[in-house]
Amino acid sequence: MRRKRSRGVTIRSVHTPLRLTSMMDILTVLLLFLLKSFVVEGEVMVPVAGVDLPESSSNTAPRASIVIAIFDDTVMMDGESVASVSAAVASSNLIIEPLAARLQAAREKVTEIARRRGSEAEFEGNVSIQGDRAIDFAILQRVMYTCSVSGYEHISLAVIGTS
Amino acid sequence: MRASTRRGYRKIIEADLEIMPLMNLFVAMIPMLLISAVFLNVTVIDMKAPPEASDAGDGNKKEGLALAVTIRDAHFVVEGRRLAKRVIARADADADAQLALALADVVAQHPDNEDVIIISQPHTSYGDIIAVMDISREAGLPSVSLLGAE
Repeated sequence: MRRKRSRGVTIRSVHTPLRLTSMMDILTVLLLFLLKSFVVEGEVMVPVAGVDLPESSSNTAPRASIVIAIFDDTVMMDGESVASVSAAVASSNLIIEPLAARLQAAREKVTEIARRRGSEAEFEGNVSIQGDRAIDFAILQRVMYTCSVSGYEHISLAVIGTS
Repeated sequence: MRASTRRGYRKIIEADLEIMPLMNLFVAMIPMLLISAVFLNVTVIDMKAPPEASDAGDGNKKEGLALAVTIRDAHFVVEGRRLAKRVIARADADADAQLALALADVVAQHPDNEDVIIISQPHTSYGDIIAVMDISREAGLPSVSLLGAE
């Protein structure tokens, strides 16, 4: 197709289709990568911000549970700070009282909901501990003991799977 | 463009591949997968409750091997009933390999035992405990419990 401009210069209008091949390549690679990392089974656990989890060769999938995070000077339960690490370690008592109270409250809530629904499901007592790799055993021991005393018998330690 | 055949000339039409439906599918799937993508593979290690909580009732059960790995500042100590005590210096470059070997020896001698107690100091770091747990599990001792040193 030719068109004449006022000054007499002729320009040719060429039909150029949008080249999508390279974009398709990128999208295909991206799609395959995302499909590979897509998890369809089990519970997905997200690390609490600020916690540097240790690596481990364990490949056990996490279960639905209460999450207790321990990092810096904070013990967090389900996203809320409940106790201070330094105060807990300074105490000779192995039970961290504020954490025990929160665990007890959570347990009563679950039991109450189960009762209202009329289900006889037993309280499972699952708890996951997300501990920073730098924390001491003293605080880990106190948190685990508090969980155990509060009726949470199934304790799991969250790690970054390397296998 | 024309190509000759026996009958004469036939017009060949150049047609682009219709990839728009595929593009639409990709554009819909990618945000969905991006939202649900897990880039960090968080797994868990199942624990037994600390033995202090149930020491009284465990007396009979503990008549077994009572294999324990103690993490000291400078050493790993592997000990248990009917076992020769082994001390491994943590400063050694292959301390982890030595510990794995020591535990593998114990597993070879007592294949029915799957329990190991990891005894830590109050200031032992969580990362070190997890590393010893990994070594124990890989050596064939999947049932780990934690204990604090007196």
